[in-house]
Amino acid sequence: MKLMHKLGASAIILSLMTGSAFAQDLQIDNPEWWQQAGQQFEGVTLQGVTESTPPSNFVADVLAPKFEELTGISVQVETTSWDQMYDKAIKDMEAGTGIYDMIYIEQDIIYAYLARNFLVDITAALNEKGDLKAPTYSEDNFTSFADNFRGEGGNLFGVPMEAFIKIYLYRTDLFEDADIQAAFKEKTGKDLKPATNHEDYAEIAQFFTEYGTENDMDLWGTTAQAHTGHPASWYEYFESVAPTYGVYNWGIDADNNYAATVESGGTMNSDEAKAAMKWWLSMRDIAPPESVQSTWTEVATTFAAGRAAQGLVYGENAAWIASDESKSKVVGNVGVALPPMEEGVMQAAESGEGYIGYYDGGAFGLPVTSKNKDASLLFLQFMALPEVQEEWAVAAPRITLTSTYDAAKVKELDDELGGYYTMLRDDGKLFKGAPPYPFHAQLREATAPIFYSILTGEIGPDEGLDQMAQKTEEELTALGYRQ
Amino acid sequence: MHSNRLGWLLLAPTLVILFFFGVVPFFYVLWLSFHQWNPFAANPDIVFNGADNFRALVFDAGFLASLGVTLAFVFFAVVSELIIGYALAQAFMKDFPGKAIFRTIHTLPLIMAPIIVGSIWKLMTTPSIGIIPSLLDSWFGFDLNIGTSAVAAFTVTVIMDIWHWTPLVTLTLIAALVSLPSDPFEQAQIDGANKRQIFWHITLPMIMPAVLATVFIRLMDALRTVDEVLMLTGGGPGSATRYLGVHIFKEVFPRTNYGYGSAISIIVLYLTIVACWLLYVSLIAPRNKKG
Amino acid sequence: MQKQRTWLYLLFWIAISFLTLFPIYWLFVISVKPAVELFSTPSIILDSVYWQNYVDVFNDSTLRGYMMNSLIISTGNAVLVTSLGFLACYALTRFDLGGKESIFFWTITNRMAPPAVFLLPLFLLMTQVYKFGDFTLLDSKIGMILVYCTFNLPFAIWTLRPTVDGIPKELDEAAFVDGASAWTVISEIIFPLARPGLAVTLILTWVFAWNEYLLAATLTNFNARTLTTGLSEYVTTTGTEWGIMATISVFTLIPALIIFSMVQKHIVAGLTFGAVKG
Repeated sequence: MKLMHKLGASAIILSLMTGSAFAQDLQIDNPEWWQQAGQQFEGVTLQGVTESTPPSNFVADVLAPKFEELTGISVQVETTSWDQMYDKAIKDMEAGTGIYDMIYIEQDIIYAYLARNFLVDITAALNEKGDLKAPTYSEDNFTSFADNFRGEGGNLFGVPMEAFIKIYLYRTDLFEDADIQAAFKEKTGKDLKPATNHEDYAEIAQFFTEYGTENDMDLWGTTAQAHTGHPASWYEYFESVAPTYGVYNWGIDADNNYAATVESGGTMNSDEAKAAMKWWLSMRDIAPPESVQSTWTEVATTFAAGRAAQGLVYGENAAWIASDESKSKVVGNVGVALPPMEEGVMQAAESGEGYIGYYDGGAFGLPVTSKNKDASLLFLQFMALPEVQEEWAVAAPRITLTSTYDAAKVKELDDELGGYYTMLRDDGKLFKGAPPYPFHAQLREATAPIFYSILTGEIGPDEGLDQMAQKTEEELTALGYRQ
Repeated sequence: MHSNRLGWLLLAPTLVILFFFGVVPFFYVLWLSFHQWNPFAANPDIVFNGADNFRALVFDAGFLASLGVTLAFVFFAVVSELIIGYALAQAFMKDFPGKAIFRTIHTLPLIMAPIIVGSIWKLMTTPSIGIIPSLLDSWFGFDLNIGTSAVAAFTVTVIMDIWHWTPLVTLTLIAALVSLPSDPFEQAQIDGANKRQIFWHITLPMIMPAVLATVFIRLMDALRTVDEVLMLTGGGPGSATRYLGVHIFKEVFPRTNYGYGSAISIIVLYLTIVACWLLYVSLIAPRNKKG
Repeated sequence: MQKQRTWLYLLFWIAISFLTLFPIYWLFVISVKPAVELFSTPSIILDSVYWQNYVDVFNDSTLRGYMMNSLIISTGNAVLVTSLGFLACYALTRFDLGGKESIFFWTITNRMAPPAVFLLPLFLLMTQVYKFGDFTLLDSKIGMILVYCTFNLPFAIWTLRPTVDGIPKELDEAAFVDGASAWTVISEIIFPLARPGLAVTLILTWVFAWNEYLLAATLTNFNARTLTTGLSEYVTTTGTEWGIMATISVFTLIPALIIFSMVQKHIVAGLTFGAVKG
């Protein structure tokens, strides 16, 4: 299978962005160096596995052919669904099969891989093999998001290739409508503007849901990623809502023997966590009815369809919602803001003690079981070259190098997105990735059934969080992390 | 009548393939079920733990709840499919214009992958934007919400399964009905038997092997349903549609609980075999021996 | 009287067909709507048609490759299991093999295994044990054809056994008396009579292989990926491409329909078989 042929598929994704980027448009500095570096790997084919997302498709469809053209090393990238990608990478590394020379590492799984020594230390490998180090590649180029992929000693174990924050989106056409503003003022006595705290947010949500009913519109006041059988809801609560109430790291204290219950020193069932849950459930109740079946995907589409006046949406979706007319009805009417939060949370985030939301993303890593490590190192550097970033950021809204923010096309896009990139650059430090737990998916799945029961109302929120905290400690004991 | 060597020879390729791809993996899973193994536990190694997994299983409320809803799902789905499938197969025995077209239409659901079926039904039943809740609401004022109502989600999974798999029952029963000899029926009519008598005393006994084979297949396939339900409800709301296939999937894929997941699989396999074996020895085997 | 009944039948079948077709019609509706249109109050009637999904899918040669793989794997597997199942059923019904009832029952237990756990040993076996030099069964079409035997071969044996059993043994005994070889008996006497059953088995095993997802998703990477695994590429964190998925699904119906209509003729042929015998 020639991957160039996949251009057809990528055209679907690319055509909806402002400019289409193709392999021939990319200008690489020092082509001779790449050509020479590739010579010793004649006949090598690199194989990678990743989730099928726009940033990954760009790797498969644009970067891989360009790399092959320069170096003669062919690159096959398998793009598949998230759970398949995860399972296949683990099976390959666990069994030592050596199928993959590159694997996608989601930020939340890196700690599990590091704990198992699945990954090659890229910093060390490049220091050792100076002749493989590309002239324009440097670790200093990365944004601070790369720190998520550093092991002990600060060495890099994954080359970041996508990064997003989960932000507060609102409809500028509604928020700036004079009649609506007047109606809101009359009802609440306040000016209509993006909320900075939960109380205001709820008031706005309430107002718009009523406004939708009164005017017989398909409009509600908020989104909710509240699927009753899919972990997306679990994530929205623990990564986006609980932190804004000051409950961090899922309410688990890693330094205190992984305590989760209040009794043993955790915060998973603290008063703050319970308040966060009740607030979120009350928002869910006035969100569009499909929210009980919504994962991140559906939340984004709900917003793009103009069914919500405001909501928390992953940044990777914010871009197409704001700019792609073939998929969104609210192009040009999208504003971005920081999520609403309780008092004191911002100060904690600024001082580095807390955070206000989720910084999501992923990297490509090199499994120790790979049979083509050296050639793979070349490709990993190629993905991190400053030269390829501009086109990539346009094709798929992600930024992993600091220099990319200043690229002309990126600035242009930033205006369209209501300043999303500016926010990512300036306020990115207030957001944080998943806590460094090697048991990420295991704990999530262990507690998810209780969480879903809270959503359906089978268990009350207080009691439910008590049970979840209890279950967390049991599970971590069973897994051997809690003594 | 002639050498059994030929018989074994004809059977050999089947036995060889099933040995390498069925029996060998089975023993691996059986072996694993007596071990604790989660590659992301503090101790990632495979550790022998005797029958601990099985002991834990007996008290595992999540597993028992899953077993319960699975049995209900299988019962409602398979019984409905059998009744509807038989009625349709009989209806196809008559001649009427356009029969070939109708038969083709009726088999269409079969050629759709479960993952597609799950997607369509999800889009048709999502609250407020799906066509079915929307029509039910405007016609009857009925609120169908598969995201909050356990009964609604359960019912939709059953209906989806009936829609998808009834054609399989119809097809296998058509094959059985067309190969029935006609003389017993003619004789019965001459003797003045009524329709119900003919059905219970002639048709049913003669097609029983095919009916049972079909029930078996549907039974075991319904017990392992994963893709469709995962796509439609994700096992929710709560754990209302977390059928065994889904439960095991979640235990093994995201949770990487390989040891415990193996134990669940072994138990499910064991229960399926026992249930089918009881049906088999009481209903099919005596007939086969006779033949 | 007769005419009235015909009308009743037609009415009945039109109603049934409506129920059967509605989700498929809806699949089509999804395939000709932009994604954002799906998130609004639905209407049963299509008011506008958006063909872009079809253009995109049609131009995607990767998907054509997946379709080719799917066709090869499902056809190869269906033919293999139907042939082997047929031979096995002949052995089970005509010979007095020791423990044959247990063997017969054991075959079906292979289909009962919940697939999620069994993927692990299959992955290990296909990468590390069942290999010939550099060639491993993982990610190969022949590997998938063999793996699919675990659920399709038992199915073939179980659906074929009543058919083969129903063919009078006097027929082959008479032929043996006339000096025919076993092969002649099987191919010239049993095979034609078993055709309707074989056709149904072929269709259904083909369908099971064509629709299989979980095994293919885990056990193929680049060379043997099937259409169902291709579909999962459109379920992503940035959006499930419902329109593209639906369009691919509509495309998958076409080869399936062709195969169906080809084999259905033989089921119809079976109708006369019942009559002749009587």
